[in-house]
Amino acid sequence: MITLIVNGKNYSVNVDSGTPLLWVLRDILQLTGTKYGCGIEICGACTVLVNGSAHKSCDMDVGEVAGKKVVTIEGLSPDGTHPLQKAWIDQQVPQCGYCQSGMIMKAAELLAKKPNPTDSDIDGAMSNICVCGTYQRIRAAIHQAAKG
Amino acid sequence: MSSRKIAPPSKIDRREFLTATGGLLLAFTLDSGNRAAQAAGITSTVNAWIRIGTDESITVLIGGSEMGQGAYSGLAQVAAEELMVDWAKVHAAPAPAAQSWVTGGSSNISGHAQPLRVAAAAVREMLIAAAAKTWKISPDLCSAANGKVLNTVTNASLTYGSLAALASTMPVPANPPLTPASSYRLIGTPVKRLDIPGKTNGSAIYGIDVTLPGMLFAAVKHCPSIGGTVKTVTTRTGTRAVVNLGNAIAAVSDSTSSAREAVNGVNVTWNIPSSAAGVDSTLYLQQAQQMMLYGNPLTAEAIGDVSGAFLSAAKTLEMTYTLPYLAHACMEVLSCTVSLTANSCDIWAPTQAPSWVLGTVMSLTNLPASSINVHPTLMGGGLGRKIEQDYIAQAVQVAKAVSKPVKLTWSREEDMANDQYRPFALARVKAALDSKGNIIGWANRIVSPSILYQRGWIPDNVVDTQSTEGATGLPYNFGSRIVEYIRHPGTVPVGFWRSVGHSINTFVVESALDEIALATNTDPLTLRQRLLVNDMRSLNVLNQAASLAGWGTPLTKGHARGIAFAASFGSIVAEAAEVSHPSSSTIRVHKVACAIDCGTAINPDSVEAQMQGGIFHGLSAAMWGEVKFTNGTANVRNFSNYRVLLMREAPVISVKIIQSGAPIGGAGEPGVPPIAPAVANAYAKLTGTRVRTLPFFPGSHMSDD
Repeated sequence: MITLIVNGKNYSVNVDSGTPLLWVLRDILQLTGTKYGCGIEICGACTVLVNGSAHKSCDMDVGEVAGKKVVTIEGLSPDGTHPLQKAWIDQQVPQCGYCQSGMIMKAAELLAKKPNPTDSDIDGAMSNICVCGTYQRIRAAIHQAAKG
Repeated sequence: MSSRKIAPPSKIDRREFLTATGGLLLAFTLDSGNRAAQAAGITSTVNAWIRIGTDESITVLIGGSEMGQGAYSGLAQVAAEELMVDWAKVHAAPAPAAQSWVTGGSSNISGHAQPLRVAAAAVREMLIAAAAKTWKISPDLCSAANGKVLNTVTNASLTYGSLAALASTMPVPANPPLTPASSYRLIGTPVKRLDIPGKTNGSAIYGIDVTLPGMLFAAVKHCPSIGGTVKTVTTRTGTRAVVNLGNAIAAVSDSTSSAREAVNGVNVTWNIPSSAAGVDSTLYLQQAQQMMLYGNPLTAEAIGDVSGAFLSAAKTLEMTYTLPYLAHACMEVLSCTVSLTANSCDIWAPTQAPSWVLGTVMSLTNLPASSINVHPTLMGGGLGRKIEQDYIAQAVQVAKAVSKPVKLTWSREEDMANDQYRPFALARVKAALDSKGNIIGWANRIVSPSILYQRGWIPDNVVDTQSTEGATGLPYNFGSRIVEYIRHPGTVPVGFWRSVGHSINTFVVESALDEIALATNTDPLTLRQRLLVNDMRSLNVLNQAASLAGWGTPLTKGHARGIAFAASFGSIVAEAAEVSHPSSSTIRVHKVACAIDCGTAINPDSVEAQMQGGIFHGLSAAMWGEVKFTNGTANVRNFSNYRVLLMREAPVISVKIIQSGAPIGGAGEPGVPPIAPAVANAYAKLTGTRVRTLPFFPGSHMSDD
């Protein structure tokens, strides 16, 4: 049994400690907002916050996060009104939307570290892949969220 | 209503009312204009549905699929216009599969907006008729606004929800009046898309997210070589089931990760046919080169005396271009969930073709259509890949082997290595120029595998028009022209990749034109302007893109601009790229200026997004996209060696939308074709090197920069 704290709730899961966190979130806790994209820590669709830092959950053993605070897109705000979520809607960022949970979680980490990021800060931090090419709007949305 | 003059082009043929729910549900029948369906020989009729709930909710049931292009929202927007309802009250949901259409050819809005408007207008008129009957006055004394019918005599009003039941008994008007463009409230405005909030909070359900009580999880492993089949397979301890899928195996377990572990641990041997050795992209290219010279071409288009033009030419040019196989690489890998019993099947799929899913299930289960419920989900990208039925059939086969609901999910590696790829192509342009540099003869010969022939949709001696689209019907006033096609017999599975043949042929045509401009010492924009003098709509698009790019204005040192043009899927697009060349392994595209005339942009913000998306997709492919085959095995496995642009590599894209009022064109695909040649043209201007083979940087890996 591994004890997880996800979005402020405690869970006990009966899985091998080497199981990737991503699949525990998706298949066992049914938090499907965190996406599978590549499985090799490239695309970032699976990004979640662990103790406030953005991590790619596809290649992170669930055993590593036992007792740590995990936040997924479902837990970023109680009602979807985090400044980034509002900015994402205002800027009409998502197309297919599949990468956007990971993008928002990555941006949340960025804003926590750098409340007023420059374009260059954003380009440096936001290395997740979006096949639809929503980057321009993501950048605008992060700036908007930073301004509050 | 002041809008009772425009005669709609589509008539309503049939209706169904389901008043048991207390609301009004109108279904209507109209012809499908979808080209994928046409190519498959399917002449289906499709229905669209509008549901008005007694709770005042308005739901538009969409027969097309939502893969990020904004189709649900755009079609709902059109319906909301005619219904005279508040956009905030409108919902979109998938229509039943039997009434769905295949999403392809950028046709959701262009092919279905108008019929949906007519249906919505009919619903509105029926609501008005119901109110008039209630008030015992003439319908002419009633008007509809904000989800209510107003009595213009007494100022009383009745809500749609309260009128829905009575409205369902009213006659369906055959020619309901449509709102004139001058009165549009919603069409042409950038309303917020309906699907976006759910995509910011984790609540949007894609195919891969479908969760059923007690369900199992399946992973798949394909034969490493195209054409190979399972020879022997054994079960594995700790695995709930191992299923032989013919060219693949699936393992079923209690989570996706354990199913993957299981499938990789299954002891399987494969029958690899001897022909697999010939499935080799290097060999294919050599064959294509021979076929270019000695093959028997089919004529796709011939206008004027091309032979005479070449005989009298002052100068001739010959240019040959090579384009690779491409993978779709949708962000969401293939996935499908099935709940099958002896007498029913529910299937959840991220699919561009719900009606084909229905057919797949029927053929594999022998269940009647009435016992099958297809639930199309949101797609994390479709790009043409999710029209296919391979993953659907696999999930049904796995469900037959286990007694519980099951979700089958491909790994990224399986997804990349078992795609139905954009065909490779070899294309040659010969141009005959007169002494003034005018193009008096244009001969374009294309050697490429045929998507339609490979599927048995066309016979051998017929031009695959999807292989030649973008090469034929060009608006340029060449003196004479011939376009020929030779089908390459390659057996690598080929499929519909965003913009299909245009993604190939536009690179060829627009690169060749640039080479001609260079050879005749003509500005590339000027050359195209001269060639489009008889097509004012195209010329305007070209000029708008050039103007947006500041064509001819001074550039930063080390930068250059290139331009390209394409008319595809009913829309006209020109793109100008500004590039630099910071290292030998990369091109930096700083800016792209794009102009599109799609007739009427229902939602300009969505059209802009599609242009941005198409440009990104085309640019990623042009930079790095290539799938090679050796012994029938694809060389790509993940984003590490099938690269996609990152934010720091992304150009700033500005989009000018021209609302010309022409018939509505597509938006999902037309942004793709011009970008590769626009960048190649800029690169040639900058470096003097002409890139005739895509991608620009083959063999690139994520870590290469």
